[in-house]
Amino acid sequence: MELPIRLSKTSREPIYHQIENQLKTLIASGQLAEGDALPSIRALAKDLETSVITIRRTYQNLEYQGFIRTTQGKGTFVAAVDDTMKQQIKVSEVYQAIEHAVDIAISYEYTTEQIKEIFTEVIQEKGER
Amino acid sequence: METLLEITNLEKQLESLHIGPIELTVECGTITTLVGRNGSGKSTLLKLIMNLVKPDQGNIKLLNIFTHGPDESWKQFIAYQPQTVIGWDTFTGQTLKEFIAPLYRDWDEELFQKMVSLFEIPLNRRFHRLSQGMQQKLTIALTIPKNTPLLLLDEPTSFMDIPAKQLLMDLLVDWIDQGDRAIIMTSHQSSDIMKLSDYINVLKNGKLIANFEKETLFATYQRYWLTENPPAITIPGEVKRTANYLISSSPEQTERFLSTQQIKWTTQEALKIEEIITLLTV
Repeated sequence: MELPIRLSKTSREPIYHQIENQLKTLIASGQLAEGDALPSIRALAKDLETSVITIRRTYQNLEYQGFIRTTQGKGTFVAAVDDTMKQQIKVSEVYQAIEHAVDIAISYEYTTEQIKEIFTEVIQEKGER
Repeated sequence: METLLEITNLEKQLESLHIGPIELTVECGTITTLVGRNGSGKSTLLKLIMNLVKPDQGNIKLLNIFTHGPDESWKQFIAYQPQTVIGWDTFTGQTLKEFIAPLYRDWDEELFQKMVSLFEIPLNRRFHRLSQGMQQKLTIALTIPKNTPLLLLDEPTSFMDIPAKQLLMDLLVDWIDQGDRAIIMTSHQSSDIMKLSDYINVLKNGKLIANFEKETLFATYQRYWLTENPPAITIPGEVKRTANYLISSSPEQTERFLSTQQIKWTTQEALKIEEIITLLTV
């Protein structure tokens, strides 16, 4: 199975961490449900053009944090993740996206007021749809 | 992890090229790609492993057996696809399969038939009557089903059509997932290198000048798009510069220097595999 994971070559975030976060998002948003099979380490490495070393590290971290489980000889599956955890991931993803936007604004030396103004405008535009 | 192949201090003097000294270890479950320019010694290294070329110095051990010693049992554990096969011209695919299959105790007939049908190989036609791409498809269909722990592929996809390349990648992924196996391949195809390799070994003039795990390689070579001209002196880590960017092989050092000089950059990015190989081998 192929997964909608897109890696950034310009991000400072290490590749294993990008994959880890995107898999968490897929689980939190319900696109990957409990019991769904994940690709084998080698198959995901091929799809994402990484080494198996990177994917192994990602899967180990996710397993340690309780997002996935590996059954010997059967494969890797999405684990039961409780709603609080899913909410936390959603909130932190939104925070990160906004932080990133604010960082860009700060790098152009925008004031707090200007940033707030843009933010409000964007929300209003979205609301009109 | 279990070590399949161990090459130590390997050297070989050819007519116009000195190979080595080469150190290389291959573990189960890994795919290693040898890259380098034409004539850099990639194919010779595979032939040395196969004992088709005798080493002057050093050792090659496959599952702890010397490949250049009297004990030839290692041949059961390795399958090799050369760039060109000699002596097959007048035989059909069917006859070749009947020669080869009984020599390998783990021969996978089902996989062979699957490859024949996926690649649409005419088994009843003589080898020299096949196109280069079809010869390559038949050769690999006669190689992977040997099911040996180590698989050596010398530019396996150079003549193949695009769908065949895709099919082969999926086949290799399935194949290596099914046991304690490893692959060493040479390739000039960036998609093979990107999609299959875990380790990238770079050969230049017979020497192994770099051995990187893939993500480490990409993290090592970074491009910085600068907002102003960099100073005329060489910047720490610098390997190349143009009017608006700088390539570094030591990003931490470069960033520290740029920061202390208050030189800003707009974007930092990993290089493409083609660029890295060119930087390393030209």
